[in-house]
Amino acid sequence: MKSLVRKIKSVFGLKEASVAEALPFDLLFAHFREVLDSKNRAMEVIADMSDKLGGGYLFDITYVHNAYSELSAAMQDSLQLFEKLTRSRYAQLGDIFARIDRQIRLLVEGISPVGGDQVISYADITWDMARSVGGKSSGLAELKNYAKTNIPDGFAITTKAFDDFMEHNHLGGLIQAAADNSTSPGALSGIRDAIMKGEMPPTLSAAIDSALLKLRTRSARAGDQVFLAVRSSAEEEDNEYSFAGQFETVLNVPLTRKTVEEAYREVVASLYTPKAAAYQKSAGYDIGNAKMAVACLVMVDAMASGVAYSSDPSADGDTLIINATWGLGTSIVEGQTDADLYRIKKHPEFSVITKKIGNKSSMVTANAGGGTITVSVPDELVEQSSLADNQVHDVAEQAMLIEQYFRKPVDIEWAIDKEGAVVILQARPLRVIRNSDVRVTPPHSIVSGLKRLDQLLRNPGTVAQKGVVAGRVFILRRADELDSFPKGAILVARNDSSEFIRALPYASAIITDIGTPTSHMSSVCREFRVPTLVNTGDATKIFRQGQEITVVIEDDEDPQIYDGIIRELLQGGGTSGSMDDIFEFRRKRYILRYISPLNLIDPLMDNFRPDGCRTMHDILRFIHEKSVVELVDKARYDNDMVKRHAAIKLDLPVPIGIVVIDIGGGLTRDGNSDSVSIEQITSVPLLEIVRGITYPGVWRSEVTSLRVSDFLSSMMRMPDITSDSGDHVVYNIAVASKEYVNLSLRLGYHFNMIDCYCSENAKNNHIYFRFVGGATDMTKRSRRVQLLSDILLELGFNVNTKGDLIIGRLANLPQRDMEITLNQLGRLIGYTRQLDAQLLDDTKIEKYVRNFLEGNYEG
Amino acid sequence: MSRIMVIDDEKIVGDMSRMSLEQEGYEVETFLNAEPALARLKEEQFDIVITDYKMKGMDGMEVLRTIKTMYPEIKVIMITAFANLDTAIEALRGDVHDFFPKPVKIKELKASIKRALQKE
Repeated sequence: MKSLVRKIKSVFGLKEASVAEALPFDLLFAHFREVLDSKNRAMEVIADMSDKLGGGYLFDITYVHNAYSELSAAMQDSLQLFEKLTRSRYAQLGDIFARIDRQIRLLVEGISPVGGDQVISYADITWDMARSVGGKSSGLAELKNYAKTNIPDGFAITTKAFDDFMEHNHLGGLIQAAADNSTSPGALSGIRDAIMKGEMPPTLSAAIDSALLKLRTRSARAGDQVFLAVRSSAEEEDNEYSFAGQFETVLNVPLTRKTVEEAYREVVASLYTPKAAAYQKSAGYDIGNAKMAVACLVMVDAMASGVAYSSDPSADGDTLIINATWGLGTSIVEGQTDADLYRIKKHPEFSVITKKIGNKSSMVTANAGGGTITVSVPDELVEQSSLADNQVHDVAEQAMLIEQYFRKPVDIEWAIDKEGAVVILQARPLRVIRNSDVRVTPPHSIVSGLKRLDQLLRNPGTVAQKGVVAGRVFILRRADELDSFPKGAILVARNDSSEFIRALPYASAIITDIGTPTSHMSSVCREFRVPTLVNTGDATKIFRQGQEITVVIEDDEDPQIYDGIIRELLQGGGTSGSMDDIFEFRRKRYILRYISPLNLIDPLMDNFRPDGCRTMHDILRFIHEKSVVELVDKARYDNDMVKRHAAIKLDLPVPIGIVVIDIGGGLTRDGNSDSVSIEQITSVPLLEIVRGITYPGVWRSEVTSLRVSDFLSSMMRMPDITSDSGDHVVYNIAVASKEYVNLSLRLGYHFNMIDCYCSENAKNNHIYFRFVGGATDMTKRSRRVQLLSDILLELGFNVNTKGDLIIGRLANLPQRDMEITLNQLGRLIGYTRQLDAQLLDDTKIEKYVRNFLEGNYEG
Repeated sequence: MSRIMVIDDEKIVGDMSRMSLEQEGYEVETFLNAEPALARLKEEQFDIVITDYKMKGMDGMEVLRTIKTMYPEIKVIMITAFANLDTAIEALRGDVHDFFPKPVKIKELKASIKRALQKE
């Protein structure tokens, strides 16, 4: 029995040990508020930095220094307070902060990472090694180690090795001379010769030897004969700039130190070809500072290979394309073959839209002794699809998974191995030109005759990200409609939500009724440069579903929205993207990568842990979420609190039996009276919930007919709870202050908890709604979960369900909207109290949801 | 076409100014320090000089004084990361056209340039 009790408690998140040793609630609550304040300060600095480094300001290094010092201080405050709040339960978070901080400081100071290993196995590459192993290796390692994608075995030769090689051969002067001499062909050729004749530093040779030995051992176990592909992985390669085809790749290199070193020199030397030098120059790179890391990957003995774009750049974004050919993919990337082309619908199930089979008369294949050869394709295969239907599906699925992982369209190189499995050889962001890059000041002659929709809005709106775009309005009523978000549409929603990140790669713009420019969503919109306008008051009511509009957010004070697609506004003017062509700008902006993106999106996902944090924003998100959890757990299970504080009974017209523990400003009491009326509640959130519960018609008082099986199933599930009504009072407690309430209810056979902070500062506000249990069998209880979930979604919550447990979260609403929502939650508590017994079939769910939303509580 | 000179010892400021002002149709030249910039003024006519306040070698106030003495028709816009009331007053006394703390909102800088050119 004891273990069952423990199990039940664990379902409710009760931590037996932690309660006894934890802080008193009022102190904990004070810490909680301090954490929120410091977290908000940090979020404001992040918003400011994203804005100032966004291309609209002239800034210098002093700004970057000062802003980051301010952020770092606010982060350290947050961490310290969070540590106090959680009693160092997440001590690892401090280490994660230190790692991210180090990366940022290196960038702010403009210094390359020094030290570290010369050679690193892919399995050992972590997210913060991007600058050491280069873009290509870092992307592949990320896929292998975090996204669990199938990539070839291998290792990276780092920029540290590059530095050592250059120093060992005294090449620094030669390179500097070439850089100063406008990269003349003669000087460049001198550098390449010197590199090809260069001697490997003994430590580097030893490191390569050791990596090869490990590869040999692993492959011998698998019984394979192994060759390597030795490829470039320059510092920014595959990130901001693609460098596609600029550098050397040496394929099918035999696994000996001599051959690998030879290939290494060739790849390093390709940094200094005239073509690569010109490309770097046009991208704003200083060839004197460029560094080349190298990727060494086990060759895939490919049946077929090719390239896939997870979003067709020339289509609506709902199509992905695959190019494929027999053997190695070299001929495709070099545009030398008539490859097969598949255009595939992303949803549902990757149906093929068009298939064009190329005339593949030749193919590139691995040569037995090393290197590659071009051979004729057997006649019967020339015009046969190089991918079977299931392989088309598998490649498309991989492309989609990688796009979802990186949350942006990607360009991948893949191969099908002898077993028919897809292996990913490269993944990099696909550069898609977005309309939002266009900036114009609309001339009066164009706009004078147009219908300004923004003037119909209640508020002018707050600009979170500027840009000019046009598209169709997609009004999001419920969070789950994001799954059907049309590509290229303008997302219009009631409140902002970090969930929208899923739609960001496809959204042309985002407009919300309510929201703040420092919210998680706003900050991510800036990162993705999706034009975003929040806090318009009633955009969801003013715009029509599917309406075509043009959004011109050029100015913080005067964002403009026009009816229809106004092409003249989208054309002309320069592009803000052009700032990206400035190397120094890009380099400074690069630090935002460690600051503003949000990877920790869903608290129920596996990566919602300290070591899942990659950015300052992630750390703040983690701190906020876990601080709320801390408060929720403590308020819910701290029985000790009842003994220490006077519990005041709430006199209500419905028999719900709530006692209130006032931790400051929650009630006004007459003398020593042990009960209070509704009018004496001064806790803003508690008052609204109670108003909702007692709203006329909401409290269903008729006797519910429980069937015998329902009763038995409840007995089976909750023996310790149903047997003793003496515990009852403990489960109907409200811990309240002026701005906070944690209300724990046991009503009949289910448990309901609402934790809410509701203040004038929208950024601090949250509602956490938790519901579990019920007296009836699982089917009926699941129906109630479905009903609750439907209603919560309509109220704007993010909802997660697991069996009969349902958790709803909502944050950052202004106080007035919080109050309206809390009132609705109060009504929901009364309304659904015993509803599960009446949910006899699925069709009833819709009826009760509709009744509730229409305010018909008695139907 | 109006010509604008930008003097700032940080390359990024010159690069970003050039990028945004050329889009407006101005001709832009950038310098990392004051001496070669002033030498260039002898060869070429400029309408506006945007200069940083604090630089290695000759600083922004000196640039302002030199220009106002030798080329009084050129409008000078001062930008600085170390903005305070004293520097602003000092610049205004030196007949600066406008004074911006960094980071400078490019839109405001453009508006200021427009005003400077209109006055002519």
